[in-house]
Amino acid sequence: MLQLLPQAIVDGLLIGGIYITVALGFSLAFGVMHIIDFAVGEWIMLGAFLGYYLTQWTGADALVFLPVVFVVFLGVGYAIQPIIHRAISGRRGNPVLMGLVFTFGLMLAIRGLGLTVFGFYSHSLSSILSAKSVFLEKGGLFLTVPVIRLTGFVYALVIMAALYWILKKTDFGLAVRALSQNREAAGLMGINARRISSWVYGIHVGVSAMTGVIIGCIFTISAQMGGDYTILAFFVVVLAGMGYLAGVPWAAFLLGLVQSFFLIFGNPSYTMLAVFVILYIILLISPKGLFAKGV
Amino acid sequence: MRRLAVAIGAVLLTAGLALSAGHRDYFKVGVITSLSGDLATGGNVTKRGYDLWAKTVNSQGGIEVHGKKYKVKLYYADAQSEPSQGASGAERLVTQEGVDFLLGPYSSGVTLAVAPVIEKYRVPMITGSAESPLIWRQKFRYTFGTIPPVNYTGATPINLLAGLNPAPRTAIILGSNDAFSKATAEAFKAASEEVGIRVLKYNIVPAGQDLIPLLSAAKVMRPDLIAFGGHDEELINLVKALRQINYTPKALLMHYGVTEPAFVEALGKDAEDVFGASVWTPTLHTRGTLLWKDAVTYARDAEAAYGVPADYTQAGCSAAGIAFQAALQKAGVTPPLDDGEREALLKALEELDIETFYGRIRFAREGEYYHANIGLDALTVQIQGGTPVIVGPAEFAEAPARYPMRPWNER
Repeated sequence: MLQLLPQAIVDGLLIGGIYITVALGFSLAFGVMHIIDFAVGEWIMLGAFLGYYLTQWTGADALVFLPVVFVVFLGVGYAIQPIIHRAISGRRGNPVLMGLVFTFGLMLAIRGLGLTVFGFYSHSLSSILSAKSVFLEKGGLFLTVPVIRLTGFVYALVIMAALYWILKKTDFGLAVRALSQNREAAGLMGINARRISSWVYGIHVGVSAMTGVIIGCIFTISAQMGGDYTILAFFVVVLAGMGYLAGVPWAAFLLGLVQSFFLIFGNPSYTMLAVFVILYIILLISPKGLFAKGV
Repeated sequence: MRRLAVAIGAVLLTAGLALSAGHRDYFKVGVITSLSGDLATGGNVTKRGYDLWAKTVNSQGGIEVHGKKYKVKLYYADAQSEPSQGASGAERLVTQEGVDFLLGPYSSGVTLAVAPVIEKYRVPMITGSAESPLIWRQKFRYTFGTIPPVNYTGATPINLLAGLNPAPRTAIILGSNDAFSKATAEAFKAASEEVGIRVLKYNIVPAGQDLIPLLSAAKVMRPDLIAFGGHDEELINLVKALRQINYTPKALLMHYGVTEPAFVEALGKDAEDVFGASVWTPTLHTRGTLLWKDAVTYARDAEAAYGVPADYTQAGCSAAGIAFQAALQKAGVTPPLDDGEREALLKALEELDIETFYGRIRFAREGEYYHANIGLDALTVQIQGGTPVIVGPAEFAEAPARYPMRPWNER
């Protein structure tokens, strides 16, 4: 059984990479704007469908369209954020709850429209990398690494690195961090909170949409796919500590590893049970997430 | 004064409605199925089957009872892929809409939730798509199904595979954790053990679970056969997963979803050589007296209406409508149906034995297949050239089975 240990670890890490990109933007949106974005799964779905239609129309490889999808949805997020902001500000009480309710409504609207516009069939995106795999067999060791999943993992690393660079090394990132620490003080320092928030939400939606394209290559897409990914984002972010970006990769990898270990070594029927029990225990010990740095 | 006017208005309105209820020249038919949620694909396929039946029967003037024709009007409720929503939707159709009878849900899970509700209100229902034996074992008097359960059909593809050369000797059998998929996996397992195929791994996995770790581990064992019970998307994901780890078993058998057009559309040439189970294809030699004279005619109508080929679920749903049609004619009952007339309809359904474009419809009256259609033959299909082709049993086979499966990279 030990011969499958490397496979379990690799599979867990690879899928964890995908989970990171699903959750990263979500955590960012919460940390900076205190918006719990229930619509995150729908942005993933829309990005996946844009990728799907682009590949159907041109016949090109799905991954080629990642930058296109990002730019389009950066714009969508940038345009929508002021509307969300209106919903959560003003004389209405409890902005976090209002944001949650608004994005929940957005989720329902997008999902319903999706079903009407895109239809009810499932689709698949294809890339030349979808079919390739690396197979290692040495001694008692068996290891299969699907290249498309490795691509997803590399994509996650690139996004993390890019986000890190933006947040730590640019003035924009400085403004974002200031905003998430103390909105009022940041405003007093001359930071345009509205514009920065719009960009942050745009980045969140853009990254989620790109993740949708990758997910479409690895799995399938449908108008109803959003719900599962929203739950996933919640799960990872709660485990990481809400608003604590640095915790997201750890939480995502933990989730991926627990699943893959249960599927290979345990009873697969109990995979979800195991995942939730672990979340429950961790939250009992540390309610603010793995590193106790959440909200 | 205003309150009095409102009260009088309400009384008049109710009286008017009550009076009109006594005279209805059309059948009110409830449709409870999943139009949204995880099961939206299958649910919409069933809706298409029911819609096509209603449209066709209305174009001929309606259901003929005692020389007079009565049109049908469909009333929909969305189960949203949730059994509880299915139950409340069915309840609403029966109590508020006052439907005469029901056309039933996609998926066994929802059907199992709806059946007790209609049992309570004594409204007959035929479902065109629910294959779990759990439904029939509970002996619901008012629930019927035009598709036989998977423990009636599941052994057939395994038996066919066992007869191929070189016969598969080992198998990995997986099933999603829902009523139908689990029953399918159990049927595959039982049949495999019966013919001497060694089951190396048998797992029931959470619905929609990513199976790559499990399959990567399974690849090490090199099973000859991989058999999977699940719905629609899960089947596509499994093939993609096998493609990603680049493992081609000698045979890949999956149910239900191989016959859906989305399967071939999503997978392209990766769908080739996959085996599935079915009870009907557009090329099956059937003969019908009501609405469509054979499978080919139905398939042509369906493709004209929806632009994609019909699969057996859609056909089974249109057949459910035909079963009601024939039973209503036999029982000689006219709308609106009261309790006594529904009993007569129930009796006519139990005694039904007709030939349709879909095949023979004859509901079992006792035993473990109670009220399921045992008039059909189980078929094994295989995707060849982008369409499901019947490869067995021998008397129905349209082409020889392609076996073993061609490796992914050699297509």
